[in-house]
Amino acid sequence: MAKKNPIKAVKDFWYGKPHTAEEGGRRLGELYEDKTGLLKHREWRGVKDTFYYMYNIWGYNYVHMVLDILKFSNNPIDFVKGTWRYRWMGQTYLPVIHWFERGLQGMRGEALAASAWHYRAMVSASIHQICNFFNADTRLHGGKKNDAYMHTIYANETVCGTLFYPWKDAGYQYLPMEMIPYFVTCHVNSHTVLNYIDAVQSIGLPGDPCPMCQAESGLFVLDDVPDSSPMVITCNEACDASVSTSTLQDWFADKPLFALPIPMQFDDPLVKKYCMNEIEECWKFIEEQTGVPFNWDSMVKYLERQNKLQRDEWEKWDVASKTDYYPVNGVAQALFRIYSTQYGIQTSCWEEASEKVKKIMYKCVEKKINPFPQTRHRVIAWSCAPLYFSNWCTWAYNCWGLNTIINMDSLMFDMEIRTDSYDNMLEDMATYHMWAPMRRMAVGGMHHIFELWDYMKRFNCDMVAMYDQLQCKGMQGVHGLFEDEFRKRNINAFWIPHALPDCRTVSRAEIRRQINDYMTTVMHEEPLDPSLLDFDDSMTW
Amino acid sequence: MKDLKHLIYFENLLQEANNELVQQGKADGKRAIGYTCYFMPEVLLDLPGCFSVRLRAPRCTSPDIATYYLSGRVCHYARSLMERALEGGYNFLDAQMATETCTATCRFQEHLQQKHLDSVEDMRIIDNDDFFCEFTDIPFKNTENSYQHFETQLRAHVLEPLHEHFGIDVSDDAIRKAVEEHNEVCRLINEIGEYRKLDNPTITGYEFHVIQLVSLVCPKYLILPYLRETAEEMKTREPNLKKEFRCKVVLAGSENDDPDFTKLVEGCGALVVCDRFCYGAVESRVPIVLEEGKSPLRCIAEHYLKTSNCPRFMPQDEMRARKKRLADLAREYHADGIIVASNKFCEYWSYERVIDTFILKRDYGIPVCSIEKEYINSASGQLRTRFQAFVESIEIKQIQEGK
Amino acid sequence: MKKLGKFLFKFCFVFVLLNALLFVVFFFDLDGKLMFNVVEPFLKKHYDNMERKDVLKEPYDLDKFPEYKY
Repeated sequence: MAKKNPIKAVKDFWYGKPHTAEEGGRRLGELYEDKTGLLKHREWRGVKDTFYYMYNIWGYNYVHMVLDILKFSNNPIDFVKGTWRYRWMGQTYLPVIHWFERGLQGMRGEALAASAWHYRAMVSASIHQICNFFNADTRLHGGKKNDAYMHTIYANETVCGTLFYPWKDAGYQYLPMEMIPYFVTCHVNSHTVLNYIDAVQSIGLPGDPCPMCQAESGLFVLDDVPDSSPMVITCNEACDASVSTSTLQDWFADKPLFALPIPMQFDDPLVKKYCMNEIEECWKFIEEQTGVPFNWDSMVKYLERQNKLQRDEWEKWDVASKTDYYPVNGVAQALFRIYSTQYGIQTSCWEEASEKVKKIMYKCVEKKINPFPQTRHRVIAWSCAPLYFSNWCTWAYNCWGLNTIINMDSLMFDMEIRTDSYDNMLEDMATYHMWAPMRRMAVGGMHHIFELWDYMKRFNCDMVAMYDQLQCKGMQGVHGLFEDEFRKRNINAFWIPHALPDCRTVSRAEIRRQINDYMTTVMHEEPLDPSLLDFDDSMTW
Repeated sequence: MKDLKHLIYFENLLQEANNELVQQGKADGKRAIGYTCYFMPEVLLDLPGCFSVRLRAPRCTSPDIATYYLSGRVCHYARSLMERALEGGYNFLDAQMATETCTATCRFQEHLQQKHLDSVEDMRIIDNDDFFCEFTDIPFKNTENSYQHFETQLRAHVLEPLHEHFGIDVSDDAIRKAVEEHNEVCRLINEIGEYRKLDNPTITGYEFHVIQLVSLVCPKYLILPYLRETAEEMKTREPNLKKEFRCKVVLAGSENDDPDFTKLVEGCGALVVCDRFCYGAVESRVPIVLEEGKSPLRCIAEHYLKTSNCPRFMPQDEMRARKKRLADLAREYHADGIIVASNKFCEYWSYERVIDTFILKRDYGIPVCSIEKEYINSASGQLRTRFQAFVESIEIKQIQEGK
Repeated sequence: MKKLGKFLFKFCFVFVLLNALLFVVFFFDLDGKLMFNVVEPFLKKHYDNMERKDVLKEPYDLDKFPEYKY
């Protein structure tokens, strides 16, 4: 038995074990229980970071999850009733802190703190949505259509929240129908969504359409969407299956429905006018349904807050692209951006988190702190990410030193909206609407997908993590060209096959294996933490 | 029934995209313009000086190179078109008028397009110096905004490029002339198709499918004489004394340019009396009405958006109404059931098929056979079993109803 | 003074004890284990056995809603 070095033991206790194997590193993979992904024990990150994590992240978020419910819920009992009624609620939100754990594993210091603030904002916004669902849900109120119900506007999760600002000051709440029941659940607990996918296939849908759309439809098949709004606004974003999902949802929701299409050829200047008219028609529909006119002041107020958040993000990206001091890890960066742009300024949590992160970031810049000191490659992740393994970036950094700087999903909605006149606002709104997630760079025009090279340069990345969503017809349709281009441009790129929410199609272990193979056989590199190369987490959340 | 005089000739025309009449059209100095989707108005591609060719990839069973580019997880139709293009089978095309009406065919057509070449090297799939590919944005609704938008798009992305590249006359008079020719094709096809409504139809679904397809893939002015002759021939065609079918069905669903599929259905005893699928005649052979006070282009834009039953359409009333329209077709053509067939990986029809299966049966009392198929029907054994079972179920229903 | 000292001692003792307990829960992922092994299986069983509306029986009326065309 090797003799223990007492000085190293004290140092490890005080600072936490070092990252790499050569330094007698931390071996994070050994912390997992077999299969479940639960931890035998949490990582000892040194005194400061362990207790920071315990009090400021773990404890803080547990407490604030309760406080948020009290803050956003009209009646906390509804929250309990909702938890009992909806699978996506009960099965998913209790393990939310484990979601933090997966995303923050191995992080230290500023990276730990800043990334956690992004998670905190996402949880708060999710609770905001959940409470709004339950405040208005007729099923939890004996079939009564209460005031909250009459003040809720349902939209498909891919319709941006920005469109509904004109009614916000009049007390109307936009609710993306599937964002919490489907999208967020996949990140937190990937077991839940499988019920919805199976449900829609049980009525005859084949298994090959986009699994996101399958799950969105399956929620309705299992009657697991709260009845919280008198109307629905639907959309063709991002693909053929999204269009078709609307058809099933129309049947099962059976409410007044307005279809708000996104033009397909969004680069064509001629489509803008058409899109602007569609948006105005959507606003007319809302006016007709609510009886409340479009409010310009409300629109401007929230747009300006949104623009400020966008500028903050650019500030952060600037640091991320030009320095090594950006403290947010890949998964926290990407998810924060998707959640915040999609939901919009419905709560102040995004702005609060963004301010806190900026403060940490500037501390890193001033003191020249590199929050990811073991970075070997700066990675850009392209296309749509596996929702059940969005924390692959954390794993990849810990195992291989692959630091995901930016993600394609983060680059959607990448613009400000002018508020100086109605016409300018509407014109920008049309562009914003057309730059929706996935539409622009995954399913949309092929040349946008190849903007990858520009973004690689802009974010100073030397490697591409190419997501390969097996059921995304848009991305499958450019597979060969990407292969050709990677070779031609001599770009190091590895593919991450996955089926968006469905962990049964490609397991997390398989994704890790593919990356491991690439790093050893093509890059000829050694892992930083070999214990993370292969472990069984097949049953994990 | 006596064989149709031109049936074998028509069948031969369907063996290649660059068929005898296409070659003749090219030899006449006309430009061949390809397209894939109903939403690209074929009538505009049939302006004097050019002719439309709706793309097919007959006999393409193994699209290996296309699978490298598009992967094996997109529809076989798109991959087959890509494979045929890579083989040089579409080099006769002078232009491709593309639409992003479904993702898979959009990706195929983007590979033909030259616009994204700032980042991707020119693959030059279509080896023709004159070739260009232009995309038109197709609306998802049949509203005033959509009509205006579609008209603008057709002018900018169909008429102007045709004029600029090939000097095609795109004046209103030229469009009127094209509409006139188009409507004659429609009239003839509809006239031939009417015989499917007879108690004992004098034309089979297969024969009609072949006739409809040749009208889509050949220059109109060259196929018209044959269609006229066939329509004449139909007037005196006698049915078989004994009905050779056990029931009549409407065939609905996604892309289907394979007459052998119709033959397969009919081989199981179900006569296909109506073809409500992409490449079928239900929508595409509705004559275009040019209204007074509206430009011909505007009328065409409205026509194609108003007549479509594509599951791509999103307005709530439209989503619901198209189920009823399908049920109405079954009644109009005296069909006993409906076969809804979607191509594997076709997302629109995968969903529509599910709803049709429940709603048409529940709300309209029409038996539905719901199947998934490939572009080329390699799984014909399984399909045959399904169709036979469906025919039997209809017969049992008829016995129970005392018919 | 003695009382205050005793109170402070007790307070500190309880505070430390609570924190120690909390630390044990945190460090050994006891919250996660409870959720995974007890709470989730229980809830799953509940949701699996829940009576649900047969949505396929939902009406599909043609004229229920007007055309939202502007």
